[in-house]
Amino acid sequence: MESSVASTPHVLHLSLVVGGELRDRSGAKLGRVDDLIVRLGEDEYPPVTGLLATVAGRQVFVAADEVEEIDHRRVTIRGLRLDLQPFRRRPQEVLLKKDVLDRQLINVDGARLVRSNDIEIARLGGWYRVVGVDVGLRGLLRRLAPRALAGSVGAGEFLDWALVEPFTGHVPTVRLRVPHPKLARLHPAQLADLVEAASHREGEEIIEAVGDDPDLEADVFEELEAHHQLEFLEERSDEQVAKVLARMESDDAADLVAELPEERREDVVEMLPAVQRRRVRALLGYDAATAGGLMSPDFVCVYSQATHSEVLERVRVSRGSAEALAWIYVMSTHKRLTGAVALADLLRADQELRIGDIAGVPRHVRPDADLEEVSRLMTDYDLTVVPVVDEEERLIGVITVDDVLELVLPKGWRRRFGVLGED
Amino acid sequence: MRRISMAMRVRAATTQVRDRVITRRRRLRPRSRLATRLIALLAILGPGLIAANAGNDAGGIATYASVGAKYGYDLLWMMVVITVSLIVVQEMAARMGAVTGKGLAELIREQYGVRWAMFSTVSVLFANLGICISEFVGIGAALNLAGVPFQVSVPIAAVVVWLLVVRGSYKVAERVFVLMTIPFFAYPIAAILAHPHWGAVGKAIVAPQIQLNSAYLFLFIATAGTTITPFMQLYVQSAVVEKGLGPEDLKAERAEVISGSIFANLIAMFIIIATGATLFVHGDHTVNNAADAARALRPFAGRFAEALFGVGLLGASLLAAAILPVTAAYVIAETFGFEKGISHRPREAPVFVGVITTLIAIGTLVAIIPGVPVIKLLVGVQVVNGVLLPITLFFVWRLASNRELMGEYANGHTFNLLAGATVLATSTLSLLLLGVTFSGSL
Repeated sequence: MESSVASTPHVLHLSLVVGGELRDRSGAKLGRVDDLIVRLGEDEYPPVTGLLATVAGRQVFVAADEVEEIDHRRVTIRGLRLDLQPFRRRPQEVLLKKDVLDRQLINVDGARLVRSNDIEIARLGGWYRVVGVDVGLRGLLRRLAPRALAGSVGAGEFLDWALVEPFTGHVPTVRLRVPHPKLARLHPAQLADLVEAASHREGEEIIEAVGDDPDLEADVFEELEAHHQLEFLEERSDEQVAKVLARMESDDAADLVAELPEERREDVVEMLPAVQRRRVRALLGYDAATAGGLMSPDFVCVYSQATHSEVLERVRVSRGSAEALAWIYVMSTHKRLTGAVALADLLRADQELRIGDIAGVPRHVRPDADLEEVSRLMTDYDLTVVPVVDEEERLIGVITVDDVLELVLPKGWRRRFGVLGED
Repeated sequence: MRRISMAMRVRAATTQVRDRVITRRRRLRPRSRLATRLIALLAILGPGLIAANAGNDAGGIATYASVGAKYGYDLLWMMVVITVSLIVVQEMAARMGAVTGKGLAELIREQYGVRWAMFSTVSVLFANLGICISEFVGIGAALNLAGVPFQVSVPIAAVVVWLLVVRGSYKVAERVFVLMTIPFFAYPIAAILAHPHWGAVGKAIVAPQIQLNSAYLFLFIATAGTTITPFMQLYVQSAVVEKGLGPEDLKAERAEVISGSIFANLIAMFIIIATGATLFVHGDHTVNNAADAARALRPFAGRFAEALFGVGLLGASLLAAAILPVTAAYVIAETFGFEKGISHRPREAPVFVGVITTLIAIGTLVAIIPGVPVIKLLVGVQVVNGVLLPITLFFVWRLASNRELMGEYANGHTFNLLAGATVLATSTLSLLLLGVTFSGSL
């Protein structure tokens, strides 16, 4: 995408800066520029904090405050002499050429992985900063062209750094926990797609980055395919697994528990908070491919004499998902399911009426109904939620259309990244 | 308003569960250890077997048949050495895929820069295109044995291969690839039908017969070259990545690579035995291509042997015709960072699918246009592969021993020496073949 900084008068390309001469104030050559160091983190455009150069056969570190000017093929220092010091990586510092160039980055705009062909640097707010990443043909051409011609490949469109998150997990020494604030802009489903497309280590980094927000982390796990869920939970302790499961929807959590290695299941379930533990245990008893395995215990079911405002209050305090609450269920004093009403119909109805008067006949299934039966019922009666009842016709769970859709989607419509991802 | 508490509802559900659990507990039912292992093995049967067997393609069969026809069983010992080398190399590539989750081309770009990556990519593209053409020629030749004109068989085969690779899911494609190795069993049967002298076969394997003449050396080098080809490492690593295998699957995947390589090279040995027991014994020492080999078998081992050779050739060529475009597409997507994977649809990964389609289309066209000098083309391919192999192997070796990249899964000290020696020996042979091809002295 065209960036706002693309119009900055002088954009430097990393590929033309590294390999250039290191000069003193008088213009005498001191050595060769090897890499630029930037600090990731707070700034929107990371500042150059120093550079690595080879001087007289030794690699030295040149701090940013010693540098007068950075340009293509030459970097000039302020003084006539260099204060020779070895390079020690400080927190959040990365080497642009070694750690970022040629590697994958997350393009937050569109949630895609891209590969950096060149890195664009400009003087911004008085100092040199990384302003963008070239992921296009020009960057590639500049890198491939002989050195003499490379300079004539002009700057093209590049990706604004404000839209980019680099991976830093491969950077050695300090396990610098570089925050990835831009990832928070993405939808959990997009994050899950990225995790699945990236390598294991990079996926781990994305999950770690969203880990500061446990609810978001749980949402991402809900969206991951089973074998990817396992891939990232395997290395965690039972306690950590339970923490993630505690925040997931109970039906998704139960599915995930069922995928865990047998010897871990019981330990993990035992560590869940009481409510979630009971639900997961209950759901685990059902075959995953039947209504019992698909249903979620989060729903609102009220007695038929409940008033309009009482019902709405129940919806307000409920922890169920918006999909599940699209329908309100009505039961008799014997807890038999007797009616169902769409939330929208309830809102439109006369406020004086009792819910029993508004509700229609509920279309329901038994826990052993198969997927076909559930989806047929949904199609025939235009339902987005199907209630599941036990032998005494008591409501024990609801199946929402999103969970069904996931299973009836034709093969190939959903991305698959491996054999184990199916079923 | 009276509320039913959550606990009540859950209690209801739990009672329900208790009743149900007695009758049916599918999700909690433990599987027996053996069944679990068997399923794990079947699920993992794939990249190593497919990569190694794609090497027994039209060009491979022609080479092995020439070896058998010219020297009988004399060169069988060499297949043992080549098998070990193949396993060493393939294991490193598969391990890298499982540990890093990245393809070889991707790692080359990240660790050695864009120029090396570009060089490998362009070479792979040309080499694979060349081999791809020879596979379609092979398909045409195999079906020609059954009287089907190649103008008909080749386009049909191309469409089938394309549909399988582009429209099928990864799981389906991989299963079909694995099934495509079944025709290879034709060779052991053909070998048995040819009534070889099994004692002589055994002796040739354990007691090397080394001759120091140029023709012998040439075949030796050519056999090594056709058995260990750059696309195999590239394919096995990318496929391991796409399959989503991780370090925890390493043990099983290693077993799969080893068994796959052994299977492929046993097949190659049976081809040598089959031709050695017939053509060599009867003094018919020249084999030009795989179809020739099949035809030549007929007078000695009967019609059945010819048919078997044809079936094997067809399966091998189809498998390789699918794997080569896929490998080229993986490499291009990895180098440039495009969406990749045979589990993608054209809309999701246009470049990936575009490369596959282009390679198959060119392969088909060249194979059905009469008068295209296929032999010259194959020589050219051999040259590109000869240059590419040492480079690919060097990268595989260095990357697999890189601790920063591989951590605890990096090559151990002893293994690294073995791997280095293998890479050096294989590369030398490859460069020798290059020299021989250029000088044209043989």
